[in-house]
Amino acid sequence: MFLGHFLLDWYPSPFHYVAAFFGCLLSQSIGNVLTGRKWHDLKSALITALGLSLLCHSNSPITMVLAGSLAIASKFLLRFNQKHIYNPANFGIILVVLMTGDAWISPGQWGQEGLLVLLFSAAGLMILFNVGRLDVGLTFLFSFAALLFLKEVLYKSWSVDHWLHSLSSGSLLLFSFFMITDPISTPNAPKARYFWAIWVAILTFILGSWWKVHDAPLWALFFSAPLTAFLDRYLKHQKFSWFTDTDSNRLLTNT
Amino acid sequence: MYRLLVLFFALWAGWISHALAFCGFYVAKADASLFNNKSEVIIARHNGQTVVTMSSDFQGDVKDFALVIPVPTLLKRSQVRVVEPGLFAKLDAYSGPRIVEYYDSNPCPVVYQDKLMEARDMVDEEVTELEDDFSNADTFGVSVLESYSVGEYDILILSAEESDGLKTWLDKNGYKIPSKASEVLEPYIKSEMKFFVVKVNLERNSGLTAQQLKPLQISFRSSKFGLPIRLGMANSNGPQDMIVYGFSSEGRIETTNYMTKELPSNQDIPLFMQQDFGNFYTSTFSHQWGKQKNAVFMEYGWNLDGNNSVKCDPCPTPPVPYADLREAGVFWLSGNNWSYNGKLFMTRLHVRYDRDHFPQDLQFKVTPNRRNFQLRYVTHHPAAVDADCSQAVAYYKGLRKRRTQEVNNLAKLTGWEKGNKEYFSYIHAFDHMIEKDQPFGPLPEKDEDKGLIGWFLSPFSGLPGMFLLIFGILLWLIIKRRPQPALTS
Repeated sequence: MFLGHFLLDWYPSPFHYVAAFFGCLLSQSIGNVLTGRKWHDLKSALITALGLSLLCHSNSPITMVLAGSLAIASKFLLRFNQKHIYNPANFGIILVVLMTGDAWISPGQWGQEGLLVLLFSAAGLMILFNVGRLDVGLTFLFSFAALLFLKEVLYKSWSVDHWLHSLSSGSLLLFSFFMITDPISTPNAPKARYFWAIWVAILTFILGSWWKVHDAPLWALFFSAPLTAFLDRYLKHQKFSWFTDTDSNRLLTNT
Repeated sequence: MYRLLVLFFALWAGWISHALAFCGFYVAKADASLFNNKSEVIIARHNGQTVVTMSSDFQGDVKDFALVIPVPTLLKRSQVRVVEPGLFAKLDAYSGPRIVEYYDSNPCPVVYQDKLMEARDMVDEEVTELEDDFSNADTFGVSVLESYSVGEYDILILSAEESDGLKTWLDKNGYKIPSKASEVLEPYIKSEMKFFVVKVNLERNSGLTAQQLKPLQISFRSSKFGLPIRLGMANSNGPQDMIVYGFSSEGRIETTNYMTKELPSNQDIPLFMQQDFGNFYTSTFSHQWGKQKNAVFMEYGWNLDGNNSVKCDPCPTPPVPYADLREAGVFWLSGNNWSYNGKLFMTRLHVRYDRDHFPQDLQFKVTPNRRNFQLRYVTHHPAAVDADCSQAVAYYKGLRKRRTQEVNNLAKLTGWEKGNKEYFSYIHAFDHMIEKDQPFGPLPEKDEDKGLIGWFLSPFSGLPGMFLLIFGILLWLIIKRRPQPALTS
C-alpha cells in the first residue's frame, strides 16, 4: 500500500496518513472505552484508516482526522441488528466530501499501469481469502463490467479497449476488493449478498452513466448500505465474526 | 511518548523548511510553441457552466480549414464567439515552466546585481457578427439544427442518426473527414452529442491566412465535463500535444479517467542550461512522458483568488489581468481592467496523446485541491571566492558536490547521458582552488539508478521512513495487546 504512495507520489506530506490513522484510532478508543468492548477492534479501525488514506484526499490534515473519527463513530452509533450499517471508510469519505468541501476523491490517481493493477488485485485477494467475502467483490465487478460492456461496446460501439480502460481503474479495483467486501456491512445470507452486490453495480452504473457522478461506486455503496439491514431481516443467516470459531472458543475459555 | 513528540516536531520542521524554500530570480521560460503538432484549449467551469476556447493551430490554406467537434448540447448563436488571438500566448507565458537563478553568497563577501524580466504587449481584436441562412436539411439522416456566422467562420450544428450518413454528408459538403473517423462518430451519435462544424467563410475573408484565424469560444451548460480527443486521433500519425488551461472557482482540475501527474519540479540544474532551457524542457517532458505514456501531466496550478497577492512566484510575466480572464471565459469574477474579486484557481495540464494510450476522451473533475504547483528549475551562480579566504576550500568542495548533483538531476530529468565532457569540466571547473597540484580530484560518487531493490527500499529512508517506523510500532503495540490463548487447556 505504502509502495503505491511513493511510486505514484500523491500527497505533499505524510501527515495525511498520520491524520487518518489518528482519527480512526482515537475514535475507536473512545468508543471502546464507552461501550466497554474489547480492543481487538483496533484491527478493523486500522483497515478503515488505510482505506481512507488511500481513497480520500484533503487540503488539511484536520479533514482527515474528521473523516477517520466520523468513519469509526458510525460503527458505534449507526447500528441495526447488532451490525453497523455503513462501511466505515465509505461513510467517512462521503460525509467529509459533503460536509467540509475540503475533501475529494481522485478516481484517476492510480493510473492504468498493468503491474500495479495486478499488485492490487493480488493483495486484495490475499486479504479476502482471510476474511471471506470475495464473492461480493467479484459479483459487483462482473455485473458492473457486463453492464458497461452492454452500454459502451454493444450499444455505443466503442472499441473494446475503451471499455477495458474504464475497468482498469485502480480506484474501482480497490473499491471492489477492499471496500464492498467488508463482512459486517454486507448481508449475511449468500443469496442476499449476490443480490445486494448486483444492486450496487446497477446503481454505480446508473449514477456514473446518466448522472455523470464521479466516484459512482462510493455513492452507490453509501445509498445501498441501509438495504443490508433490510435483507438481513428477511433472509436470516449467521452473522459474520472477525474471529473464527476456534478463536472465539479460546477467548471464551480464557475469560 | 516524549520521543514520539520530538519525532513529530522534527517531521513538521522538515516539511516547513521545504515549503518556504521558494524564490529566486526568474530567468527564462519554455513556451508551448516548442512542441510541434500541438493544440491549446482553455476550459473555464463554474456551477455546471463550461466555457471552452480552442486555439487554431491549423497550418495550411484556409480554404482547407474544417473543424468537427462533438458537443454535448445544441449551441445557439449567442453561445459562440471568437476571441483575441494573443490570449493563448499570454496564458502560456504566464503559466509555462520557468528557470530561476540564485547567486551563491560569498563567505568573504562582494556585491551583486539583480535581473529583471519584460512583459508581453497586448493585441486588440474585434469580433464580427454576421447571420447566414443554411437551407440544407435532413439529408442522409443529418439535420442542420443551427447555422450562423461568427467572425470569419461559418458554423453549423448538426445532429445525425447514424455515422455513415454523417460522414457522407460531411464529405459532400466539403468537410474532409478521415476514413478512420467513422469508428468514433457512431459512439458520439449514440451519446446524443451534437456536431459543431466549422469552415472559414472565404467570400468575406479572401486574403486571410491560417495564422490570422481567431480562437473560437463556446459556452454551454452540461453535466459532461471533458474534451473529445478521439476524433482528432483519426487523422494523426504519431502522438499529439495538447495544453489545457483550466479555470475553476474551487481548485485544481484533474482527469478522472487518466492519472494526473505532477512533473518533477524545484530541482537544481546546471547553470549552462539557462541558454538551452527550451531544449531542456522539451527533453524533460518527452522523457517523463516516455515513462508513463497514459498520464496527463500537470505543469502549473495556482491560487488566483482576487485577494491573493502572490499570483505567481517567480512571475515570468505579470499575472493575468481581469480583462484577459474574462476573455478566456472566466465569467464568475467581478472587477475592472486589472484587479478582480472572486475565487479562481488555474490549472495547466499537458497531454501527449495517441490512439494506443488514450482510448477514451478526457474527462475532468474540479477538486477542492488548492495546492500551488509550478515547474521551476533552479540554477546557481558560483561566488568568486579568493584563494586566501579561509572558507575557500570548503566552499569549492561544496560547489563541486552541488554541481555533481545538478548534472545527476539533469540526466534523470531529461534522460541525457551524463558521461559528457562538458558536464565533467562543469563539475570540476574549480578543482584548482581545492587542490593546487591536482587539477581534477577523484570523481565524486555517482547517484546512480537504484534498481528494483532500491525502489522497494526507498520508502524506508528519510521522512517517510520515520512515519513507517511509527506505524510499525503502533501495529506492534496493538498486536501485543491481543490476548494470547492459554498454552494448556
